[in-house]
Amino acid sequence: MTLARPVTALGFPAKARATLLGALGIVLFLGLWELAAQAGWLNPVVVSSPSRIAAAFAGQWQSGQFVADLGVSLAELAIGFGASVVVGVAVGIAMGLNRTTEYALDPFVWFLYSTPLVALYPLIVVWLGFGFATVLAIAFMLTVIPIAVNTFAGVRSVDPSLIRAVRVFGGSRTDVILKAVLPASLPMVLAGFRIGLSRALIGVVLGEMFSSNAGLGFRMTVYAAHLKTADVFVPLAAFVAIGLLTTQLAVALEGRLQSWKTSR
Amino acid sequence: MHPSRRLVVGTLSVAIFLAVWQFVGQREIIRSDLISYPTEVLATFARLISTGELGSNAAITLQEFVEGFIPSIVFGVAFGVLLALIRPLRELLDPLLTAMYTAPVIAFIPILVVWFGVGTYSKVVIVFISAIFPIMINTRVGVSEIAEPWLRAVRSFGADQLQVVTKAILPGSMPAIMAGIRLGLGRAIVGLIAGEMYVSLGGIGRMIQVYSSAARSAEIIVLVVVIAVFGYVCVALMRSLENRLGTWQSDLE
Repeated sequence: MTLARPVTALGFPAKARATLLGALGIVLFLGLWELAAQAGWLNPVVVSSPSRIAAAFAGQWQSGQFVADLGVSLAELAIGFGASVVVGVAVGIAMGLNRTTEYALDPFVWFLYSTPLVALYPLIVVWLGFGFATVLAIAFMLTVIPIAVNTFAGVRSVDPSLIRAVRVFGGSRTDVILKAVLPASLPMVLAGFRIGLSRALIGVVLGEMFSSNAGLGFRMTVYAAHLKTADVFVPLAAFVAIGLLTTQLAVALEGRLQSWKTSR
Repeated sequence: MHPSRRLVVGTLSVAIFLAVWQFVGQREIIRSDLISYPTEVLATFARLISTGELGSNAAITLQEFVEGFIPSIVFGVAFGVLLALIRPLRELLDPLLTAMYTAPVIAFIPILVVWFGVGTYSKVVIVFISAIFPIMINTRVGVSEIAEPWLRAVRSFGADQLQVVTKAILPGSMPAIMAGIRLGLGRAIVGLIAGEMYVSLGGIGRMIQVYSSAARSAEIIVLVVVIAVFGYVCVALMRSLENRLGTWQSDLE
């Protein structure tokens, strides 16, 4: 990397300028919000304000409430996503390699893919009751479909001559999957993970808001019912941060893989 | 391979699924109040239609959807174009918009209900903020990717800024805008139903909530299918619109 970075008229590197302006945007947003609440343009009890939210965060942190809720939500996210990866990739490969399996599962997959699955949550509550299992089931249901569909598309796009080559050299069916199909379809699979991760988070939020007794989403509804707006914003901000971090992580992973592929 | 094998296997697998469901539900092998069965679902659908309960609630949901979604398209596209054209504005707002784009917007439902009440107003706002960020960001990316020579060509023929937007920028970024609208549509439906289920006075989501507290599986399944069909029809409408715009666009070139 000996290339000079693009430089703007002011002599700032373009990237630094974007970061600086972005930070300024956040500061301006929070500053205006605080000012509007302090000056009484907006009712601070209703809209809250950054300083009130910071105080609410400190309170939730000290009581251990925030960490406990965060732990529950992250555990649900991890388990729900992990289970979806295992099942989704397996189903996607099965559909990709076997036409009959594809045709048999296709109607169900596409129905579930185009259904706003939120609406199914009451059935799951009826089946599994309130709590951890229901949240996991909702997250799983939302996540497994995009992962399966993407894996399927990835497997279908694998060059058949690659598969034939493994077979010619005496590779078994397992070899075909591990040595040819999975590596070649990895970009699509990872794109499925990225979509799945954001859907798993939606599943956790939904499950916790509607049918749980723990986690950030549940806590949010409790605070909202008591009109503690500043407290509502703490788990809300955590969800926004988790969404941002998981997406960045998935994008970074995809990027790394892409560079590895091209350098090969 | 027979060309209609997909159809045969697909239909067969759905038929087997329905038959097993019917058998297991009707014979109470699994309690039918938990899973219902196809003929009961059909009868329930007919009853909900004939009592007018489904129609009146669907009208509420549809109205909330339209009132939130149309403004999200208008403002989303407008802001997306502005963000693409004015670089400092884009850099200033980028972290905030990215955060809202990747955030699970349904997490905003409790606070929006505190702000806008339990009625339809909060649902309209949920639809709006669910849809506007994907539309805005896709529009911005679409506009940024328009080839600079194209814009120069339009300008050199004496177009003013407004004409550049309407004659070059909007048509050129139409595929990206439509992709954003489709993404926004899916998120808006999820947000709307979740919002109605959280707390509301009417609508499909409210019906689901009421029947789920009475553990009425047949009604819930009917409502789920109604929402699925609505989503499907919207996407199909959009695709045909996209195709028409697509041909119009290639006529232009």
